[in-house]
Amino acid sequence: MTATPQTTARPDMMLIFRLSGEAFAIPVGCVHEILDPIPMAPVPNAPAFAPALVNVRGTIAPLIDIRQRLRMPAATPGPAARLIVLELPVLGTSTRLAILGDAVEEVIEVDLAALEPVPDLGARWPEQYVQGIARHGDGLVILLNPQTLFQPDTLSGADRSAVA
Amino acid sequence: MDEVNPAVATFIQEAQELLEGLEALLLDLEGAAAPEQVDAVFRALHTIKGSGSMFGFTALARFTHHFEDAFDRVREGRLAVDPRLIDLSLRARDHMMALLACGGDGPEAAALEASGEAAHLLAALAEITGAVPAPAAAGQPARAAAPGALRRWRVRFRPEADALKNGMRPDLLMAELSALGRAEIRLDLSAVPPLDRLVPDESCLAWDVALETDQPRAAIEAVFIFADDAELAIEEMAPAGSAATARTAATAPPPGGAPARPRAAEGESVRVAATRLDEIMDQLGELVIAQARLQQIAQASDNPLLETMVEETERLVIGLRDSTLSIRMLPIEVVFGKFRRVVRDLSAELGKDVALVTEGGATEIDKTVIDRLSEPLVHMIRNSMDHGIEPAGARRALGKPERGTLRLSAWQEGGEVLIAIEDDGAGLDAEAIRTKAVERGLIAPDAQPSAAELYQLIFAPGFSTARALSSVSGRGVGMDAVRTTVDALRGAVEVASTPGQGTRVTLRLPVTLAIIDGLLVRLGTSVFVIPLAAVEECVELDSAERHRESGRTMLCIREHLVPFLDLDEVFGRPPSAEPRRRIVIVKADGQRLGLVVDDILGQNQTVIKTLSVYHREVAGLAGATILGDGAVALIIDVATLARAAAAARDVAQRPAA
Repeated sequence: MTATPQTTARPDMMLIFRLSGEAFAIPVGCVHEILDPIPMAPVPNAPAFAPALVNVRGTIAPLIDIRQRLRMPAATPGPAARLIVLELPVLGTSTRLAILGDAVEEVIEVDLAALEPVPDLGARWPEQYVQGIARHGDGLVILLNPQTLFQPDTLSGADRSAVA
Repeated sequence: MDEVNPAVATFIQEAQELLEGLEALLLDLEGAAAPEQVDAVFRALHTIKGSGSMFGFTALARFTHHFEDAFDRVREGRLAVDPRLIDLSLRARDHMMALLACGGDGPEAAALEASGEAAHLLAALAEITGAVPAPAAAGQPARAAAPGALRRWRVRFRPEADALKNGMRPDLLMAELSALGRAEIRLDLSAVPPLDRLVPDESCLAWDVALETDQPRAAIEAVFIFADDAELAIEEMAPAGSAATARTAATAPPPGGAPARPRAAEGESVRVAATRLDEIMDQLGELVIAQARLQQIAQASDNPLLETMVEETERLVIGLRDSTLSIRMLPIEVVFGKFRRVVRDLSAELGKDVALVTEGGATEIDKTVIDRLSEPLVHMIRNSMDHGIEPAGARRALGKPERGTLRLSAWQEGGEVLIAIEDDGAGLDAEAIRTKAVERGLIAPDAQPSAAELYQLIFAPGFSTARALSSVSGRGVGMDAVRTTVDALRGAVEVASTPGQGTRVTLRLPVTLAIIDGLLVRLGTSVFVIPLAAVEECVELDSAERHRESGRTMLCIREHLVPFLDLDEVFGRPPSAEPRRRIVIVKADGQRLGLVVDDILGQNQTVIKTLSVYHREVAGLAGATILGDGAVALIIDVATLARAAAAARDVAQRPAA
């Protein structure tokens, strides 16, 4: 169930995971490992986008709720749910963080030159988080932009849950 | 150079330390010029010059040469130590620091060498040494000695076998030698063994140089000053066929008693990169966590043998923790030393005569704390000197000594280090603070805060009571920076002031930041850690107290009224349904405060892991830790929690007011 970090991964190798039936892709290069769901500790007064912490082999990693970022409704993780642990630079520091996918599928090669933009009104996802759309088999794969997707909100007031 | 040569890195570090020491030496000299101190200055300069040219810092070496000349004259009694020399020396030392920071010769160093500051310093040094200012010809070490007649020398140089491993650069030495005049260099390969016996990192070469120069013998010796283990012979050759008056030196004596190996004086110590210590600390943290898990397993297993082993490892882990923490401890003197210069420079800038007195410099504190302490302390010193200590005229009129005193002291109390900055100035003007606070909307016009509460307001962002802005302070950015840093270090600031007699600001800081003793508390299914240092006691929460509808949130504990906060409410959690709850009484910002929790689980040694960028700004949290069962628990920062709760309450009350 564990993938070792692939520092030599080519930029067009993508990991496909599902959120509410949709196939999303992130570069394999920033995937550290994939785990079965583990208990998480909610952080009080945290931004809704980073609601909890998880213990990934002795390292405390923030759990990032990308459903919230992509304006998708919250969902209870099913039996196929997996924790995807990523390691990537956030504000210039290498940061380990975790996201929850409904299922993790496969690693595919994506022709980055053939990416298509999301047409206007094509989805509710804020456009800055999506790099483009690739075709894979019969379906669509949405390529997420890890640079913007995990950027903390500096003006966190709007994102922050109500405080006592 | 693709990667920094470790020998060069060591040189940079040693030179930095020498320059830091040099600053203290120069300031000492200003008090009383003892011959040993003059020698020490000379030695420091000499070392930097010598190793500088050896490690590719020739611009630094060239500049240092002139500086060293001046102290050579002081040593010989031809130049007196006066404030002008000290001023010049301090500036020259700063220039050397800048040259060192360039990391070797290059465009940056060249720009510095050509700068107005360099020209000014060289001219001033030349003026006091009486030498002709050297032309700023790059690549040519300018020798201050007057040119003499051309003489011919034969120099034979054979470095010791280990020389290359130790970072010697014979090529640079030869280049330096050639710069003295006309040199004919011949390489002696006779000692090179056959290939099968060749050890590639050992030096087996020798150089024979015929040199024609107008420089004295000392200039030639100076080239090889740091090659004192090498075989070196310098002979004067007969000019145009007359008999040689050979003077031979088997090994180069270290002229001027220069320290050949500064390391030797430090005794049995090892230099370790700070990052390595951090790594050890991280690993130790994991070990402490693993130990806690093991203990939990042992308790559940009911195996006496295992339990004994676990107790044994626990004892070892605690010992290891203590010794690791002690390695990270540094005397606070490291920081105090920097302030002599700050006080001296500020005295000149503000036109106030201020003496700095330091006490308790041997008090030890964690390196992480030390690293972040300089800046807030500088702010506080500036404030004291600018706003606290009155100008000499005013002091005379008040019957105070004209010379102001700034006292910096440190001492340890339990798990905390206290650092106090005390001045004998005018004291804080409570009324002015009050007016300003009302003006800034920090307090209500009819509020009656105590003096201590008013004094705390000087740490509010953008607060300054100075009537005129000076370049030194008074922009109201300093003191809130002090507060921010101290908060981040989980410390506290206390202010005491007597009008007309002075102000004393005390910083309370934890001795270490890496590991704390914590009290584990439960809220629903979540576990939180409250630093034990902040905890005063734990009491039961009377169920009558919980259902009070009057809005009263305080308790009477031994005749003292203590306000309390329900952590469920502060943390935005649904109200607890537990029938029996407890209150942990903590001390936050000098005030007692109760925190209502569902249960108290016990004590635990906690390794603090800092929070990621996503959670660093959340008020009331100091970090996170991993518990024995692998669960993540958040560590509560009592001070910011109390402040955030007070701010939230103010916001809630404002519309009603």
